[in-house]
Amino acid sequence: MSAPVSVHNLTKTFYDESRGQVRAVDDVSFECRPAEIFGLLGANGAGKTTTLRMLATILKPTSGHATLMGYDVANDPERVRRNLGFSSSTTALYPRLTARETLDFFARINGLPEDRVAERVESLIRRFGIASYAGARIDKLSQGMKQKVAIARTVVHDPPVLIFDEPTVGLDVLNALEMQQVIAEFRAEGKTIIFSTHIMSEAEKLCDRIAIIHQGRIHACDTLANLRTATGQHYLENIFVHFVQQATANAQPSPAGANLEAHGPDLT
Amino acid sequence: MVARDRRMIVTSILLPLVVTPLLFLGSSLGIKKHEKKLAEMVYPCAVSGPRAAMVKDLLAATRKRLDAAAATNKTVFRFKEVVCADPVQSLNQGDIQLILEGLPASSDDASHTNSAIHSGPSTAKPSEKDNSDDVEKPVPGSPVVRIVFRGDRHESAAGLSKMREALSQTRRLERAELLKTAGFPLPTENVVAVTEANLASQTQISGLALGKSLTLLLLLFIFSSGAVVATDSLAGEKERGTLETLLTTAAGRLEILAAKHLVIVVVALLITAIQILNLLAYIHFKLIPVPANWAAAITPFTAALLFFLYVPLAALAANVLLLVSGYARGYKEAQMWFLPVLLVGLVPALAPWLPGVPLRSAAVLVPIANLALAAKEILTGSFDWPMIALAWLVTAGAAAWTARLGARSLVQERLVTAADTDAVDFAGGPALFERRVLLWFCVIWAVLLIVSNYTSALDLRFQLVINLVGIFFGAACLMIRIYRLDPKLALALRFPRPAVWLGLVLAVPGGMLSALGLFRLANLLLPAPTRTVESFTDALLPPNVPFIQILLFMTVLPGIFEEITFRGLLLHGLRRRLHPVPLSLVVGIIFGIFHVALFRLVPTAALGAMFAGVTLLTGSIFPAMVWHAASNALGLLASKFNLPENELDSVCYLAGAGLLAAAFWIFWRHRTPYPDLRRPPPSR
Repeated sequence: MSAPVSVHNLTKTFYDESRGQVRAVDDVSFECRPAEIFGLLGANGAGKTTTLRMLATILKPTSGHATLMGYDVANDPERVRRNLGFSSSTTALYPRLTARETLDFFARINGLPEDRVAERVESLIRRFGIASYAGARIDKLSQGMKQKVAIARTVVHDPPVLIFDEPTVGLDVLNALEMQQVIAEFRAEGKTIIFSTHIMSEAEKLCDRIAIIHQGRIHACDTLANLRTATGQHYLENIFVHFVQQATANAQPSPAGANLEAHGPDLT
Repeated sequence: MVARDRRMIVTSILLPLVVTPLLFLGSSLGIKKHEKKLAEMVYPCAVSGPRAAMVKDLLAATRKRLDAAAATNKTVFRFKEVVCADPVQSLNQGDIQLILEGLPASSDDASHTNSAIHSGPSTAKPSEKDNSDDVEKPVPGSPVVRIVFRGDRHESAAGLSKMREALSQTRRLERAELLKTAGFPLPTENVVAVTEANLASQTQISGLALGKSLTLLLLLFIFSSGAVVATDSLAGEKERGTLETLLTTAAGRLEILAAKHLVIVVVALLITAIQILNLLAYIHFKLIPVPANWAAAITPFTAALLFFLYVPLAALAANVLLLVSGYARGYKEAQMWFLPVLLVGLVPALAPWLPGVPLRSAAVLVPIANLALAAKEILTGSFDWPMIALAWLVTAGAAAWTARLGARSLVQERLVTAADTDAVDFAGGPALFERRVLLWFCVIWAVLLIVSNYTSALDLRFQLVINLVGIFFGAACLMIRIYRLDPKLALALRFPRPAVWLGLVLAVPGGMLSALGLFRLANLLLPAPTRTVESFTDALLPPNVPFIQILLFMTVLPGIFEEITFRGLLLHGLRRRLHPVPLSLVVGIIFGIFHVALFRLVPTAALGAMFAGVTLLTGSIFPAMVWHAASNALGLLASKFNLPENELDSVCYLAGAGLLAAAFWIFWRHRTPYPDLRRPPPSR
């Protein structure tokens, strides 16, 4: 059986009036296994979001290819999205819909069979403890409540692959911990999860394998144990710095790379 | 979801429901009050000038006549004579509204030298009204009564017209009396009474008034109400971050676009319907007055037809709004765009206000303008069904095209990223030209229409130089420069094989006869008025220009400059977007549209497609240039010598088609195809 997510030599180039050509993602390859949390660890502007947006078919790869549940992201985008739940700090909810209407709308638009919609929505409301405010409009909810609805929205069509792009940005400690717990539960249910973060402790705690991404390139991809062995460092923070320093030392002079570093945060 | 937005309901439905009728009501009340004030006003005026005594006599007679009339009519004009030291100063200060100057002679010099208004302290130079059409010329030697007024004051301007009418009437009566007293007989056969009779019914007159404004009003309602939803639709979603959520769902881009489009159309039509019903209700309760003798009768059939007619208009407006919303980066930018877009959209809706522009003209090819004209004609009881159908199809086509653009805009990455991901947009050059070429030709067409409007009275030679050299060649040079095109490639500047010239010998008469045959066929469906065709032929052969010059201008200039523009740049820009046969047809149709006159569309489009065909087969623009020039020469000669080219036997047209087929067979056999064309997909 092929890997749920397979990425080969994915590259994305942007053009900018002031910077010229910018290589936001540079020849990235990796595979994700079933029931695995795959971590993309990188600083702001490393190319994490651009990679994940290409997997979500929002951006088109400049070169290379990727498949999700066997469907090509460039040639079969609708099937790819049907099998994907995508959540990021920039994917907001409709403020004028209620929590229940939000789940109902996204279940239908993602092609969940009509006869399963009501049952699925109610089960998610129960699971995430939304019942008490299911009839309230999203813009009236607290940040924590919105986060629960957002997670339920991501999985409402029961996709086999989930992408969480920096999901704990802007959350307080308790809500962040709850988010981590939910993601671990999804893994237990057999879902493949790609989890991007720049917070080392989250990656350390959650990820089965970690890819260290810097200046659009993946410099290491392995389990935490193997990364520790390879670098002789214990803490992920030190492991990350080790690879970044190594990458900087090995880097050929590249105007595109320099540009990316200088203006990186805009691209995430 | 839309209905939950209180601000939208307030700004789009409730406020207009109250404000629009209040505007009508307020303005009509204001006008009534003003008219009443002017009617009841006693206009103070001063008398001056060397013939003041004559003016006073005239005023006394006028007052006597008006006083007699006031017994039966309360709204009769009233004035009072005021004595003032400096009449001009009093007029400037508003103490009086008019000065009546009595001047001894009728010559301009005399009136100027004696005029009080020149000796006064007024700083601004007074405007003269003596040359206007509504002021009668004085009989030489007769004294003049000159009414001095302030055109920048309502009261003074109103007083002028009333005083002029009153004095003229008195003078007419006095003249008739004088003639009678002098014993002149009044032979009735020499006195002509001018009366008028209007063949149009009151329904048709009212229909015309309604038809002129209906499309404008509807478009205004649709745009203003649809804009609220459209802003929220894409620009708002971008700003809130919900667009990225939506784009990561399994819904197709076309589905998303269609849903948003439907919401805009439904909301816009709903709000428009509410506004219209609201206006009708106000009219019903006489809160908004309708003009006197208003009798626009809209039968259920007319209403249904108008509704059907306006469907593509609503779809087009919704698509444009959606495109703007998608293009803008956020709410603010979208709102900034909507006003210019609204103004541009309203311009074609003004077509019914242009005098002498019927639906059966080139205007039928202009979206929105064609529906506006169709609505006007329908409301005046004229149903030109082929033209109504064509107008509907053209605007529906424009709506479909904008829908396609909208679907494309949803896959553009600038919707979710700040940076540009498109290498072509970024780098410009020939690849960008291929995307922009149609936009360029839309602009050239608009410029041509506007310029032609101003140059139509000029000499034919000047018109040709302005249009072909100034507009076509100027635009071609701009395109080549801006997109860094290689002129040799873009204009297909290479020589064909010698046999091609032999083919042209057959192609020129063959093409001409075939195009004429198609013209006659098209004439069966859309008959061109004989007068229009004759006027066109007359315009081509102006008597004041030597025929040899016309021949030179009409063959050389189009042969070179139209070919550079159409078979050069247009063909080059579209070469990779269409397969050769559709490419030839599209280039031909665009060429036909540029000939503006509707009856010329089919033959010119056919010839344009033939010229494009020979360019594609030979990879050279030169055969098309020679063919074009020769074809024009043939047409001119036929007109000059009154050859019955439009009345030939059908066998002649068939023979022409045969010649054309033989010519294309020669071109095909000796082809050196146009480089870098779109290829058909490989067979599986």
